[in-house]
Amino acid sequence: MWKYEKKLQYPVNIKKRNLNMAKCILTQYGGPAGELAAAWQYLDQRYNMPDDRGKALLTDIGTEELAHVEIISAMVYQLMKGATKEELKESGLDGQYAQFGKDLFPADAFGNPFSMTYIKVAGDYIADIESNMGAEQRARATYEHLMDLTDDPDVLGPLAFLREREIIHYQRFKELRNYYLKMKK
Amino acid sequence: MNNYSNMGGFMMNEFPINYMQNMPGQNEIFPQATPALVNDDKQLTKRLSKQAGDNMNFNKCDFNGKTTPNNLYDVYNGFIRGNMFPDLYNQYKLTRPYDVKPMNQQAELLTKVDAYSFAAHDLNLYLDTHPNDQEMIELFKEYVQDKERAIKEYETKFGPLFVDDSMTSPWAWNDLPWPWEN
Repeated sequence: MWKYEKKLQYPVNIKKRNLNMAKCILTQYGGPAGELAAAWQYLDQRYNMPDDRGKALLTDIGTEELAHVEIISAMVYQLMKGATKEELKESGLDGQYAQFGKDLFPADAFGNPFSMTYIKVAGDYIADIESNMGAEQRARATYEHLMDLTDDPDVLGPLAFLREREIIHYQRFKELRNYYLKMKK
Repeated sequence: MNNYSNMGGFMMNEFPINYMQNMPGQNEIFPQATPALVNDDKQLTKRLSKQAGDNMNFNKCDFNGKTTPNNLYDVYNGFIRGNMFPDLYNQYKLTRPYDVKPMNQQAELLTKVDAYSFAAHDLNLYLDTHPNDQEMIELFKEYVQDKERAIKEYETKFGPLFVDDSMTSPWAWNDLPWPWEN
């Protein structure tokens, strides 16, 4: 089961509203390389890992991804806080507002709703772990694109932190895959 | 009334639990952690071969069981980088990582909790793939203790981070600023 810690893994304190950035960052919540898809993908895969090492790693990284969902959500929330009618229209988030008001809704940067088809499970530990390695690389690339789009240090800090986590996760998945390949003979 | 032995109409023995059979020390009440790690190499190899087809031309990379890095960042520097391992650190766009600058005592104590939690967690992931690295296990224990201390320090001054620590009346859990509010 899970326990809530009343804190973010990395603090988010955004002072400057930026709706265009909120719209782009939303993809790391409900987009194809987003944290929600990653969390669910790893937590779904862990049941069929061949040994306890894999089960532990997928549980722990999947859990961390849930904490990342919360960081991204906090970023979107703070970037949109206090938005005016004009700002919503200008950024193209007026549709988001019409449908969901000020609630968060998992979607990609184009407004397409989150899809469970983003979740890659194949019932094969190599296919699963390598798709996770790919997922981490795609997420890293997305964070780099997001970092290209802003110069606000309040936004860059958390984005850089999250990007670095993708690198670590990739490394751990790679170690797990290599271990299984070695043990497989 | 349902009880646990008759949940959902499953037969009780449908999901047999195997308590580490053929394991030395199985009669001990609290078996040591190490025997549980006994790598039944043959069994694992068999299980691995059963899944991914043997005819796949995977690139078999070397796996080095002991890859303890030579050095780690200190707790704060690891935290602001999102990475405790200098060998794995790679940065983008920023010439150096941003400092986390707490503006008051509450934020400062919370940053301590964040940093120790992060250090312990990053070592946790490392230990998942390097379970026999004794040195790193010792360091993990140290960080967890530091984290516990930091949590206590924060909670006595600013209220619970965990609902289990919400012991005051009126109910203190509701009061704190929620994490996403800046």
